[in-house]
Amino acid sequence: MLREFELDLPGDLQETLTRLPGGTPLAGGTNLLVDLRARREEAKRLVWLGNIEAFRDIKIDKAHVAIGGGTTVGDILRNSAMIDAAPSLVGAARVFGGQMVRNQATVAGNVCSGSPAADTVPPLLSLDAEICLASSTGVRSVPIDSFYSGFKKNQRKQDELITGLSWSVPGPSTANLFYKLARRKGDAITVVGVAVTVTRDGDRCSDARIALGAVAPTVFRAKDAEAMLTDQPLTEELIDEAARAAMAQSNPIDDIRASADYRRHTVHMLTRRLIGQAWRSLAGKEADK
Amino acid sequence: MTSVAGTPTITFTVNGNIESHVGDPFQRLATILRDEFGLIGTKIGCDAGDCGACTVLLDGRQVCACMIPLGQIDGTEIVTVEGLGSSDNLAALQRSFLHHGAAQCGICTPGMLIAATELLAKDAMPSKAMVEDALGGVLCRCTGYIKIVDAVVDAHQFLAPPVADSPTSETVGTPHPRVDGNAKVTGQDLFGADGAPSDALWLRPVRSPHARAVFKLGNLDAFCTAHPGLEAVLTAADVPGENSFGVYPDLKDQPVFADGAVRYRGEVVLALVGKRTAVEAIQFDALPIKWRVEDPVTGVTAATATEAPAVHISHPDNILVEGGLRKGNIDAGFTAAAAISEGQIQTAFVEHAYIEPEAGFAKRVGNRIEITACTQAPYMDLDECARVLGVGKDAVRIIPSACGGGFGGKLDVSLQPLLAIAAWRLQKPVRCIYTRVESMASSTKRHPATIQARAAADQEGKLLAIEMTADFNTGAYASWGPTVADRVPVHGSGPYFVPNVQIQTRSIYTNEPPAGAFRGFGVPQAAILQEQLYDDLALELGIDPFEFRYRNAIRAGLPTATGQKLEASVGLVKCLDALQPHWNKSRAEAARQNENHGGSRRRGVGIGCMWYGCGNTSMSNPSEIRISVSNSGRVTLFNGAVDIGQGSYTVILQICAEALGLPPSEFDLVHGDTDRTPDAGKTSASRQTFVTGKAAYLAGRDLRSQILRLANAGEDANIARHGSTLRVRDTGHETTIDLTDLPAIDEHGTVLTGKGRFDPPTTPLDENGQGNPYATFGFAAQIADLEVDMELGTVHLHRIIAAHDVGRAINPSLVEGQIHGGIAQGIGLALMEEYIPGRTENLHDYLIPTFGDIPEIDVLLIEDEEPLGPYGAKGIGEPALIPTPPAIFGAIRHATGVKVTRVPLLPHRLLEALKSHDA
Ligand SMILES: Cc1cc2nc3c(=O)[nH]c(=O)nc-3n(C[C@H](O)[C@H](O)[C@H](O)COP(=O)(O)OP(=O)(O)OC[C@H]3O[C@@H](n4cnc5c(N)ncnc54)[C@H](O)[C@@H]3O)c2cc1C
Ligand code: FES
Ligand code: FES
Repeated sequence: MLREFELDLPGDLQETLTRLPGGTPLAGGTNLLVDLRARREEAKRLVWLGNIEAFRDIKIDKAHVAIGGGTTVGDILRNSAMIDAAPSLVGAARVFGGQMVRNQATVAGNVCSGSPAADTVPPLLSLDAEICLASSTGVRSVPIDSFYSGFKKNQRKQDELITGLSWSVPGPSTANLFYKLARRKGDAITVVGVAVTVTRDGDRCSDARIALGAVAPTVFRAKDAEAMLTDQPLTEELIDEAARAAMAQSNPIDDIRASADYRRHTVHMLTRRLIGQAWRSLAGKEADK
Repeated sequence: MTSVAGTPTITFTVNGNIESHVGDPFQRLATILRDEFGLIGTKIGCDAGDCGACTVLLDGRQVCACMIPLGQIDGTEIVTVEGLGSSDNLAALQRSFLHHGAAQCGICTPGMLIAATELLAKDAMPSKAMVEDALGGVLCRCTGYIKIVDAVVDAHQFLAPPVADSPTSETVGTPHPRVDGNAKVTGQDLFGADGAPSDALWLRPVRSPHARAVFKLGNLDAFCTAHPGLEAVLTAADVPGENSFGVYPDLKDQPVFADGAVRYRGEVVLALVGKRTAVEAIQFDALPIKWRVEDPVTGVTAATATEAPAVHISHPDNILVEGGLRKGNIDAGFTAAAAISEGQIQTAFVEHAYIEPEAGFAKRVGNRIEITACTQAPYMDLDECARVLGVGKDAVRIIPSACGGGFGGKLDVSLQPLLAIAAWRLQKPVRCIYTRVESMASSTKRHPATIQARAAADQEGKLLAIEMTADFNTGAYASWGPTVADRVPVHGSGPYFVPNVQIQTRSIYTNEPPAGAFRGFGVPQAAILQEQLYDDLALELGIDPFEFRYRNAIRAGLPTATGQKLEASVGLVKCLDALQPHWNKSRAEAARQNENHGGSRRRGVGIGCMWYGCGNTSMSNPSEIRISVSNSGRVTLFNGAVDIGQGSYTVILQICAEALGLPPSEFDLVHGDTDRTPDAGKTSASRQTFVTGKAAYLAGRDLRSQILRLANAGEDANIARHGSTLRVRDTGHETTIDLTDLPAIDEHGTVLTGKGRFDPPTTPLDENGQGNPYATFGFAAQIADLEVDMELGTVHLHRIIAAHDVGRAINPSLVEGQIHGGIAQGIGLALMEEYIPGRTENLHDYLIPTFGDIPEIDVLLIEDEEPLGPYGAKGIGEPALIPTPPAIFGAIRHATGVKVTRVPLLPHRLLEALKSHDA
């Protein structure tokens, strides 16, 4: 049962920002409305973001990607340049809910939902995305890596809006992958999500990013594991060691979807698999050079 | 647009018409479409984005209408199923759905059609994978998705206008489209939530959040007065008749309203009746209910412990019933054994998860009550409501709405008695729609089973004995607990000849949801362990599991565990014959694959066999069918066999038409109204095609012989209707019967009536469970071919090959649909579904299979005709599901060596088992 809320329908960004103090942004509503109906969330006034002009624009050039704060998961899938600009994000979008949810759900809403199982977040972490925040008093940019501070806690101030996300296009020597482990194929909450970015320089890995979802209060980067891989040739043994380090950094819970032990174990397996896969795909490219 | 608060005017187009609406911008689009615009084709299955039944197009893109606040749609274009095509001008996609039998109950169909429309606009000839992705968010519980995918892939073939088929009376054995298909693919079939009178009051049951508690109600009159719009608060004190119901005549243990004590979370304590907004606005905490919460009895072990509190004082030991069977000498069997296997399993509560939550309305008409609701058992509803109201049975009329899935869950009454009491007391129409959470919390479930068994075979692999004890958690109320306790002993040894059998069952009360009927009444749970033990024996003796089953398969003339000798239609060997080449090929492929690729994936191929008695166990369960011919030439089939999606309206018509010798298109159809149709019993126990079908056959033959007699024609004569005449052509000459010349026997001008009644012959079971419990059995065997990811514990199904002896496939397309749907539910049961009260009460946390979870399915129809059945037919509803879990578990075992002990075998459980197997 939905109680009556006040609903603001501001017409542009400026107006939206002035309406935000004391209000709650409403994007696709696929989190917010469900939570309000189940009385898990409270809100007095909702500010609808759907009328902001160009809020769903996607800009991709050779080196850089910028998506608007209203970009939906479906928009990510429909943009044919995205597969090179953010392979892991496209991977996440493909296994995100059903198409009717993808058409409605926004990436920014997913980022703000605060769920450790939010599927676009490991890819965005693996891409080292920047979050652009705006309020009526100014704009600022926060690396997504420092955005989350705890379960459902983040750096966004109450009157701030995510106006966009941006990241660098992975180069030809970089592989970027995502895997969602869930209890069924369609539309299911993630049990473990892993996104990796591996950059290869000759026979070494020059840079590695590993982002893990649903195994801690927030999505996080397994930096111990990343450090073990950086500036090293990736052998199976090293990859396995790093994957174990990723497992050691996770702190999952038991719930109806899986046990904590299972989550830890699959972090090990999936990290090993994805890093290995990424490394091997780059080895192929190296050979082509 | 600028900032708007309050109630703005919102303008948008719906199916091309410009509409505007003034109201709360926060109302859901789904509600507005249904309630304001009457576009009831948009269904609501969950109101939370999880089921996709409400899917509409918003500016060409599919979205959940239950998630869209009205404020968002200003200036947009909405398309609902009503915008795709109308009943007399179906879109190509809709015709493809009809042709493929892609709609069963039809509650998911509008959402499927809309999701497919978005895809087809982009690509008129999509691949299967594209269809699965585009429709992947819409849930279907009936079809197993396969026919839906086929229908979308093939839609382009229906772009040309349809050619009218010439009517034919050759109908049995053909894939006749559903008679209610048109209404289903246009979204115009009226389900429980769809047809209520506009002035109906709203009823909201208030349910216990506690599994076990006693409670006191405060001053409800004062509460009512303090809440404008609330017309009544109904409680146990308001029940005019008896405050109890239950499916057995002598076991009415479930109250309509809890009377001072609740026994499970979700039990109704009181009902709020009044204006919808008023009733919905009331907060639970505001109600004057004082609770004293007690420790619930959870699980059968706790319930049977000596110090366990009683759930019902009538049953101090919490044992509702015991069942059993004893044949031969079990000890002798084990003594002579060359191999013995032993095992145990624990299964979970399983939710039916029909996409239509319970819904309906009631109105009082003078001193009668009329209840329209989704149901599988209108005549049982009638009896229960009459008792509860304390009125005669002739004062109750049940009109089944279209039923959006049942699978056993809509056999018990749910909201019918509540509606009846409210409409009776208030003398106004009253409606009710369960929320998804409410439906899941309150409805019956599959019984969790705790089963132990051992089995024995001789050196040649001949089964010697099986011994089984099975405890079923029947929850807070009996429901179909006794049926489960009775059915399992009969079936527990499997479709094999086993000389020595001993099976003991108990149904046990707990403070958990009532477990009731769910596709197979306990037999699927028992079959999992029984088939596992037979695999064990085969392995131990070094015999191929397929060969082991072949050697032991029951054949005509051999006695069953109850000592019944089945003389005909014992088709298991034929099913196995059909599967043999597939088995050999898949096992060889699997062996090769496992040898060649180390890696993390192991392939496995398993087999499961089953048998299932059609109709009630050793009980009379007759069906009656009537056909009338009026003096104006109307031929009407009165069919009370409620169609819950499986297709009984179509199959019964096909049988009847063939028996009479007129094409199906000649019939007017009257369905399931207890005032108008004779009693065709329940839609359960895989009985409608067999039992009611036979009644329909007899009714058709009865009418045919009357007509032939009037025309003095021979058996092979041809009957045709022209206006109000019947023309009967016998070799060479034609006789015309002018129906207007015949005397009418009622006010409808009925001049001829054909009647058929069939009650399958059974005998009672003696104290050892010996006798003839069913007139016939369905048989089946399925092969599952899959891969296990050894690192993740995940199971990837490749293919299921299902051979089913259905006696005769009256409608092969519908039979296939049942098999696909049963397999999908079997997959859910085996690998993902686990209902935990309070934790998985929605379709987000309770997962049922989606498009991507269903492998390729090959259906092999075996027709070993049942002489008693109509044209040789027997049932398929439940048989479809039973072999799937054993086949899957057999395959997992083949791949990994791991035996299932806990169902569902979730990835973390499989992984644990793999670890301890290796250790
Ligand atoms: C059936 C179903 C399936 C789902 N499947 C998945 C899945 O597979 N994977 C997954 O990760 N999630 C899933 N979800 C959850 C949800 O869809 C996503 O988290 C989604 O991305 C949320 O986006 P939204 O636009 O709907 O956000 P909303 O619900 O509108 O908002 C979510 C939160 O973000 C805030 N917010 C939104 N936009 C902004 C902004 N621009 N600036 C600041 N704050 C903002 C809101 O105030 C709110 O607190 C599913 C949900 C449903 C109902
Ligand atoms: S009713 Fe909207 S998704 Fe279920
Ligand atoms: S036909 Fe899909 S839910 Fe019944």
